[in-house]
This record gives sequence, structure tokens and C-alpha cells, in this order.
Amino acid sequence: MRLVHFFLAHGDEILQASAEHLWLVVIAMLLAIGIGVPLGIAVTRKPWLSKPILGSANIAETIPSLALFGFLLPVPWLGARADRLAIAALAMYALLPIIRNTVAGIQGVDASVRDAARAMGMTGKQVLLRVELPLSLPVLLAGIRVATVWTVGIATIAAAIGAGGLGEFIFRGLAMVDNRVILEGAIPAAILALAADVGFGLLERRLRHPQ
Amino acid sequence: MNQMRPWIMLAFVPAIFVLFGCVNRRNTIVVGSKNFPEQAILGEILAQQIETQTGLRVERRFYLSGTYICHQALLAGRIDMYVEYTGTALTAILKKPPFSDSRAVFDEVREGYVQRFGLVVEPPLGFNDSFAIVVRADDARRYGIHTISDAAKYTPLWRPGFGYEFQERPDGYDGLVKDYGLKFAAAPRIMDLGLLYRALLARQVDVVAGNTTDGQLVIGAFTVLTDDKHYFPPYQAVPVVRSEVLQQHPEIANALIDLSGKISDKDMQQMNYEVIGQHKDTASVAREFLRAQYLNTAFALTGAVPSKTNQGRARGVGR
Amino acid sequence: MAPEPKSQSNTHPVIEFRDAEFRIADRPILKSLSLTVSCGETLVLLGRSGSGKTTALKLVNRLLEPSAGEVCVDDRATFEWDPIRLRRRIGYVIQEAGLFPHFTVERNIALVPELEQWPRNRITDRVRELLGVVGLDPAQFAQRYPHQLSGGQRQRVGVARALAADPPILLMDEPFGALDVLTRAEIQREFLEIQQRLRKTILFVTHDMREALLIGTRIALLEAGALTGVYSPADFLRATEPTAAAYVSAFRGDMTPRTLAKRGEE
Repeated sequence: MRLVHFFLAHGDEILQASAEHLWLVVIAMLLAIGIGVPLGIAVTRKPWLSKPILGSANIAETIPSLALFGFLLPVPWLGARADRLAIAALAMYALLPIIRNTVAGIQGVDASVRDAARAMGMTGKQVLLRVELPLSLPVLLAGIRVATVWTVGIATIAAAIGAGGLGEFIFRGLAMVDNRVILEGAIPAAILALAADVGFGLLERRLRHPQ
Repeated sequence: MNQMRPWIMLAFVPAIFVLFGCVNRRNTIVVGSKNFPEQAILGEILAQQIETQTGLRVERRFYLSGTYICHQALLAGRIDMYVEYTGTALTAILKKPPFSDSRAVFDEVREGYVQRFGLVVEPPLGFNDSFAIVVRADDARRYGIHTISDAAKYTPLWRPGFGYEFQERPDGYDGLVKDYGLKFAAAPRIMDLGLLYRALLARQVDVVAGNTTDGQLVIGAFTVLTDDKHYFPPYQAVPVVRSEVLQQHPEIANALIDLSGKISDKDMQQMNYEVIGQHKDTASVAREFLRAQYLNTAFALTGAVPSKTNQGRARGVGR
Repeated sequence: MAPEPKSQSNTHPVIEFRDAEFRIADRPILKSLSLTVSCGETLVLLGRSGSGKTTALKLVNRLLEPSAGEVCVDDRATFEWDPIRLRRRIGYVIQEAGLFPHFTVERNIALVPELEQWPRNRITDRVRELLGVVGLDPAQFAQRYPHQLSGGQRQRVGVARALAADPPILLMDEPFGALDVLTRAEIQREFLEIQQRLRKTILFVTHDMREALLIGTRIALLEAGALTGVYSPADFLRATEPTAAAYVSAFRGDMTPRTLAKRGEE
């Protein structure tokens, strides 16, 4: 009960921090999708790109998140503001699942459908936009879903470098040795991650069964 | 079109969060602090001062991890003010080399902050939280030493103890040894800051580098040696505030100026001692200090002690 | 190579292979193919798997390009054509139908007309008409999705889609191969009727001799990437060339009185 009262008393703070957190996650995901999907499409068009692109994304993935935040600190413009820095690092992490799933989704389109599309005189762009992308949407969405849930979690670490968000409560709670403050950050973060997972899951299901 | 509706609903959820957050921020002042007790005390003093003098709502966001975090929070508008130290602002934030003229350091920090960040640095609160070279009080009496130069004669007989930070910082161990030409009996023992004074008392070490505002200095068993060569740069405590907040609420500036010069080294040592040594609640310690201040001012102005109904009510919303 | 018999219709060639070759790395898939398809005729490319018939087909709509020689459509080599314009003039039907799973039947059929930017009502009318041609009730089928159709229904939609923009040429790659015997026979009959009405120029690939004899106006036999002969259906049955003869005897083989008698003795 005490915990519930604590949360209610600090409702404003929690909403504020959740808004900051969401901001970090949403911008990072938009960046990752905006960069990742075209890169994925490029890989399906020119297979030799697979190694450099997927390879780099993989490397970014293996760097521990805190270290990646640290590496980006001295970068001009990016390193000047912690939230820019955090968004850049979060976007980098989200790239791999998105690129991978874009590639898998497009390559998973039935070859006979793709052949028929080409044979009917669709240009490359038309095949991509009208056939390949719509058909690979469920797989792509699955990648976005995973990436978003990860990002919500990793964004809590962003507070360590000053980007704010729900992680700040966790770090402050650790310094103050106050579990309630830690939970003030941990519980909303978990709820956000869950909501993202469920939300995208529903969307996926909707797409798999048109009408 | 029916397929669009769930999308739109989804977008509403984060929008609601953001709106809520924005609306509530307008009339709330957020005071931040770094993650050690002295900072929480200072933050509490600022917060209560603003609450009683201006009637504004104040939110506390204490124990932020460090200088960089606080600075970023200030830039992003997540906090409206916190207490920084001039030396730290100069070297860690403005990235300039340290020097020892405290007035000049303050001026340079104030200039730099306004130009580069649009942040206002208020006048110093009164104390200097710098490194302090500390010896046992009876040693100081026996050898008749008051300054670090005095001690230089005896250090070859002494074992030093330092915290990790003092060891690593450019304005720490290495520079000290060079400036004063110190030699020690043994290599420094590096230990946790909290244990330094205990080790000093237990004679495991003979000289330590603490801070000028450490609560342990209150008990009288230790002597701080004067930095006669002014090796350590000044670390005057100054409130740093976002200029937008001062524009929106100019009364805050007055409330803060009221505090300038009011907290001496000894005052800070005392408050640190009460919180860390006597485990008193930070908010109460701050409240006591402000009450004493108010009483002193009232007495000084009118020569009379105000009645209970006239005393400022500290609303004490803090933790 | 047996001399090519003159085609029935005596009109000029719509499709012409001139010493066309196709190689992957150094492996020859198609060796020096020379063949013509005249306007209105149904030329069947007959051969076993790996004989190069699908490859030959894909050379016509430029899904593949010849390693040597050329393929001409309407007197122009394929590499001189804009590939998009070329393909819009050619209907393409494959064994799996290749219908877009995320489009309704109506949208699938309307594909090329939409690409050609026909006015909306012309498209709707055309779709309705074509569904009728392939024997599917528009009211029932227009709004269905491919996964809601049977194999035979899907192939009919595939044919309708190929005919949608009224292309003069049809390329068909074993279109009825995946259907059960009864459905296949049904569709083959209907297809013949449609062809008799529409008189398209058709290049039809199959490995089924019965289908070849039923549908084709001429039969071109391919073996290991080389053309071994071109025959009218009647001539094919009488052919003495070894590959053709092998086909025919395989067909007749399981129907001779001798094998029937053998069965009776068991």
C-alpha cells in the first residue's frame, strides 16, 4: 500500500519522466526505421552489400550499451547534448533487427509472386512498393516490435549519461538507497515495454488477417 | 478507414503523456543536486528558500549521478537549477585550465555559462568545497604546523592516504607534490573517502586529502592545513539557474541572492556532520539552517525576535 | 534438324528466335535455338525437365537475356525493347499462378490495366468480363482472396489476369501442371475455346505430350537445350526422329494390347 501511495504522490514526476523516456524511444525508432528499412532493401537488391551492412550493424550490437554511450561522448554536436547522444546510440542498437527483418521479409516473398510481378511489366520500384514491402510487412513489424521493446529497456541506461527518462529514478534510487524511487523508474519502464510488445503484437495480428 | 482507428489511438497514448508532463511543468520549479549528501543539503536549502520566499511549488530531483548529468539536465530543462562548484564548472564543463584567483574564476565561469549555455551563475553561497590536506590535531600542535609548506618538512616521516579521485585528478596528488616539493615516507594508500578519517585517527596514515567541508572536521580531532601556495583552485559553491526560469519568475533571483555569502565553511561542515554523522533528516537540517538565518536577519534588522506567527513556514514537501 | 513445316496461318512471325543461346557460367542451357511463332498460333514447347523450355520462354519477355543470338518480338530484338513496355504486351501464366496474396481477385486481374492507367470503370467492366470468360461468377469471386480459392480457380484467375490488358502474346509455363486430372482436362477444354475466340499468339511450355497434342497448333521438341524438331500434331505421332518417337511410344506404351493382356494374366 505504501508503494501505491508513493506512486500517486509522485504521479506528475512519473508522467514527466515517462514522457522523456517515450521521446527518446520514439525518435530513436523513427531514425532506425528510416535508415534501416532502406538499407535492408539495398541489401536485397545488391547481395554483396549484405556483409558490410549487416556486419556493421552486428558490431554496433556487440558493444555494451553503456560503452557505446561513452564512445559517442566526444563526437561533436552529438556529444554536446545527452539526449541527442542517447537517441543516436539507441537508434544504432535498433538497426540490426530492423535491417535483418527487412531483408528476411523481402526475401521471404514467394518467388513466383515476384516473377509474376516482374513479368507483368512492373518497374523495380513498383514491385518493391506494391508487392514486396506490403507482403513483408508482418516480418518487418516483428522486427520493429523486438527493437522497440529492447529500446525501451536500454533507454533506462541512457539516464547514466544524463539523457533523463525513467532510468534516472533507478540511478537516483540506487544512490539514495531508496527502493521506492528505484521502482518509480523500473515499474513504468516495464509497463512501457509491455505495452509496446502487446501493441505491436495486435498490429501484427491485424496485418496477417486482412478483413 | 476502419483500419486507421487503432493506429490513431496508439498515437494518442504517448501524446497524452507528453501533454500532461508539459502542462504541469509551467508553475513548478525543479531543483536538482548531485549524488552526495552535501549536495542534497544545498538543494534542500535552495528549494525551501524558494518555497518560503516566493510561494512557488518546488520539486526536488536529488542524487543525480554527477556533474555531467546535472549539466545535461539543466540544458534540457529537466531541472531549473542546482549548486555547482566554480572550479568544477571551469575545468569539467567549460574545459579550461584551473587557476587560483577565486574572484577571477567566478567571473570566468559566470561569463562562460551565460555565453555558451544561457545559464545564470548566482553569487557564491559562501563556502569553498575544495580539497583539504588534513592531519591529526595533536600532530599539528606538536610540530607547530599551520600550512602545507610547514608540513613539507615533516612529510618524509608520514604515510599519506588519499581517495581515488584525488589520485587521478590533474589538480590532485601529482600537482600537489610538485608544487610543494613534497616527499613521503611511503606511497599513498588509496582508500574509500569515508574511511580516510578513521584511518587517520587510527594512525594507519598520517596525512589525508579530504574536503574542506567534511563533517568529520567538526569534532576537533583534525586540523586543516592552509594551502599557502594556493595550489588548489577555488571550488566556491554557486547556484546555477536557467535564464528562462529567472525571466518567468524574477522573484527567484531575489530569493537566491538572499543566500549569497550566508553559508560558511564551518556552517557546511556542521550540516554535513548532522546529516552524515548524526543521521539527521536532510530536510530538517536545511530547515533549521534557514530558520537560524531568518532569525539572525530579523534580529539584525529590527533588534527584536519575531513571534511564532511571523516566522516563515517551510512547507517541507521534500523527502 | 527436321525442316520446319510452314505454319497454318501464313502470317508473319510475331516471335522469332535467331540462334538464341543461354549459358550460366559455362554451362549451356539453350543451344542455338532458331524458331518462329506466327500470329494466332499456339506453339507448344515440349520436352522433359531441364530441356531448356522455361528458359526459352523467359527469353521472350526478357526475364532472361540471350548469351548469344537474339530473340525478336514484332520484328524487334528484345534488347531493343523497353522491358516494361515489352512485358505489358505479353501475358504470363505460370504453374503456381503467382497471384498476389494481398490483393483480391479483382485487384489481381486489374493489375496491368491499372499499371496502364485505364479509367476506373473500364477496369471494373473488364474484370467482370474476364471472370466470365474463365468461368468464375464475378459476384462470388471478385472480392475473394487467393487463399480462399481452389487450385483450379486460382489458375483461372491467373489466365484472366494475363488476358486483362488484351495482350497479343501469351507465354504459358506449364500452367495446368499442378491441377488434378479432372480439373486439368476441364480447364484445357475451356482454354481451347477461349483461344479459338481470341486468337492470341501463344508460346506454351509443357512436358505432357497429351496436353501438347490437344492444345498446340505446332509442337517444338526440345532435348538437352537443342531443338530436335517442329511438328504438326499429326506429324508428331508419325515421327521417326528418335526423341519424338520415344515420346510417342511412351504414350502408346502403356496402352498397347500386349501390356493390357499381360495385366489380364496376373
